Amino acid sequence: MKPAVVFTVYRKELLEMTRDRRTLISMVLVPIIAIPALLGVATFFVSSSQKQAEQEALHIAVARQSAMPGLERALSAAGFKLTPSADPRGAVERKQVAAAAVEGQSDKGEPVVRLYVDASRPGSLVAANKIRAALDGLKAAAIREALAGSGVPEKVLTPFGVEQVDVAPKGKMAKSLIGGMIGYMVILLMFSGCMYPAIDMTAGEKERRTLEILLCSPAGRNEIVLGKILAATTAAFLTALLNVLSLTWAFQSGMMGPEMHKLLEGVHINASAVLLVLVAVFPTAVTAAAVMITISLFAKSFKEGQSYLTPLILLVVFPAMIGMMPGVEAGPKLALLPVFNVTQLIKSIFTGDYTLSSFLLPFASNLAYAAVAFVVAVRIFKREDVLFRS
Amino acid sequence: MIRVEGLTKVFQDKKRGAVRALDQVSFEVKPGEIVGILGPNGAGKTTALRLLATVLKPTQGTAVVAGYDIVREPEMVRSRIGFLSGDMGLYGRLTPREILAFFGRLSGMEPAALKRRSDEVVSMLGMAAYADTRTDKLSTGMRQRAAIGRTIVHDPPVLILDEPSYGLDVPTARLIENFILEARRGGKCILFSTHVMEEAEYLCDRIVVIHEGKVRITGTMEDLRAATGKTRLREIFLDLLNIREEPMEAKA
Ligand SMILES: Nc1ncnc2c1ncn2[C@@H]1O[C@H](COP(=O)(O)OP(=O)(O)OP(=O)(O)O)[C@@H](O)[C@H]1O
Ligand SMILES: [Mg+2]
Repeated sequence: MKPAVVFTVYRKELLEMTRDRRTLISMVLVPIIAIPALLGVATFFVSSSQKQAEQEALHIAVARQSAMPGLERALSAAGFKLTPSADPRGAVERKQVAAAAVEGQSDKGEPVVRLYVDASRPGSLVAANKIRAALDGLKAAAIREALAGSGVPEKVLTPFGVEQVDVAPKGKMAKSLIGGMIGYMVILLMFSGCMYPAIDMTAGEKERRTLEILLCSPAGRNEIVLGKILAATTAAFLTALLNVLSLTWAFQSGMMGPEMHKLLEGVHINASAVLLVLVAVFPTAVTAAAVMITISLFAKSFKEGQSYLTPLILLVVFPAMIGMMPGVEAGPKLALLPVFNVTQLIKSIFTGDYTLSSFLLPFASNLAYAAVAFVVAVRIFKREDVLFRS
Repeated sequence: MIRVEGLTKVFQDKKRGAVRALDQVSFEVKPGEIVGILGPNGAGKTTALRLLATVLKPTQGTAVVAGYDIVREPEMVRSRIGFLSGDMGLYGRLTPREILAFFGRLSGMEPAALKRRSDEVVSMLGMAAYADTRTDKLSTGMRQRAAIGRTIVHDPPVLILDEPSYGLDVPTARLIENFILEARRGGKCILFSTHVMEEAEYLCDRIVVIHEGKVRITGTMEDLRAATGKTRLREIFLDLLNIREEPMEAKA
């Protein structure tokens, strides 16, 4: 084994990679723009749906003839645009208005204000809350008026106040979802960033008839395959690196609106988290490279290699997606499941929920997988029935 | 320089089962000699050349190339051969100079010596104008020169060429022929396969005809003529394969 020869092969593979448009797109362009684009779309969606709900909530229906004094005035004063309607309930059902407030009588014959709400629409719920607040004000005014001059102090109306404190950790669900999504993205893009170079340096070399020439050179098979695995690992790792850096940029720049920032509270993207994530993904980068090289070595052309590796990407998508589900936590057994465990690990690093043992278990098992994949790749590369498949 | 002894190669093919591509093949190529391997499609020419280049392992028998055994010292063999095939095997995204540097480095050449040798090869083959252009942007003739350069950058004593003029037009094929003749003048040992009879007749000191993995005959043109009673290599070749061209009227 001559390290200089390995390095020569490695350098040649890198040179070829940087001159291949397909590789550059999947290895550089996609990882850089994917996460900012995703966050940008999410930001737009979150803030626009919020705005839309607020806008929608302004329109409510009331009865044509109002018997309750001050109801319409109170609602108008609260900022609502009132639509008198013969069928207020129907107007809500038909989504013409967000909600409706109609005075009537309860079963016992007491006056009530009935709110028609469509709980499936955020705008309707927002409207209902605002209507209730306006009605509370109206109610208080009515009582105040009735008590005036009776000598009863106004204070008896509110013997105590009520305060509600939310003890759930801030945005736990959102944080876990976002963390999981980042883990999923990093791993998926890492595999796809490695895919083209891996096919190119195996099946591609076969198809272009350069592999035979390379094998005729003084370089040994061990040295050649080592150089290739290192180059594919570099591609995988570089994809992950660019991905994480662009993620960091997206979090620290002001590209996300305030609503998004609130959702992302508790997700820590800082230098030490980034470094730890890069360490965490390293064994998986080696595994991705070795597995993809092994599989595409069996193909005779780039196209064939692509059709072999596409199912592998799907195989990666599933465990990665499960890892994205909020609430899914890796137990000690699941920590051994490749791909899934690393998406979990990335998630826990970004959300700050990891311990030394929750880091080391998946890391060590992934190192073991990497070693196995590496050995298999080297052995397959020495099989002449694979290299010269007829 | 090349001594082949009882070389046998059996492939395990999924559909066809065991394929005996080479069967007890023996022949020799001396320094300063050009030997051509002729044979119909599937005769085993490529297999023989790949075995000599050590990219395939023989099932039986062996060969000594430039003093080293292809089974026991394959890496030594590979550092002493230049291998070229008709499809050239050039890295399209690299320039001729980068390709020379790559293969030179793989041969363990020192940077300074490699630089000198690469400049020498570039000027010898007249590649200066396009030595820094990606080879996938070059014409066939230019690519052929680059491929020749790659084959000889480490100055190997043995050249193994598999249908080097395959698919080339006459002027470009001429380039290959001149390269082969030039190499012989330099004392190299050259073994090449071809389907072009004229080329073989013109270039070869000796000819090996193989058919279905077995050597049919080895010798100079004179030997071949004496053995078959025919003059032109075309006729000799067909005769050796037992394919007789019956005159049209003889059929009726
Ligand atoms: N890797 C392989 N696996 C199985 N069979 C093979 C393999 N390589 C070659 N063969 C078979 O071995 C025989 C010899 O093939 P080879 O390529 O050496 O012939 P050739 O003389 O070079 O033919 P051509 O003139 O078409 O180039 C053929 O029957 C071929 O199908
Ligand atoms: Mg052939």
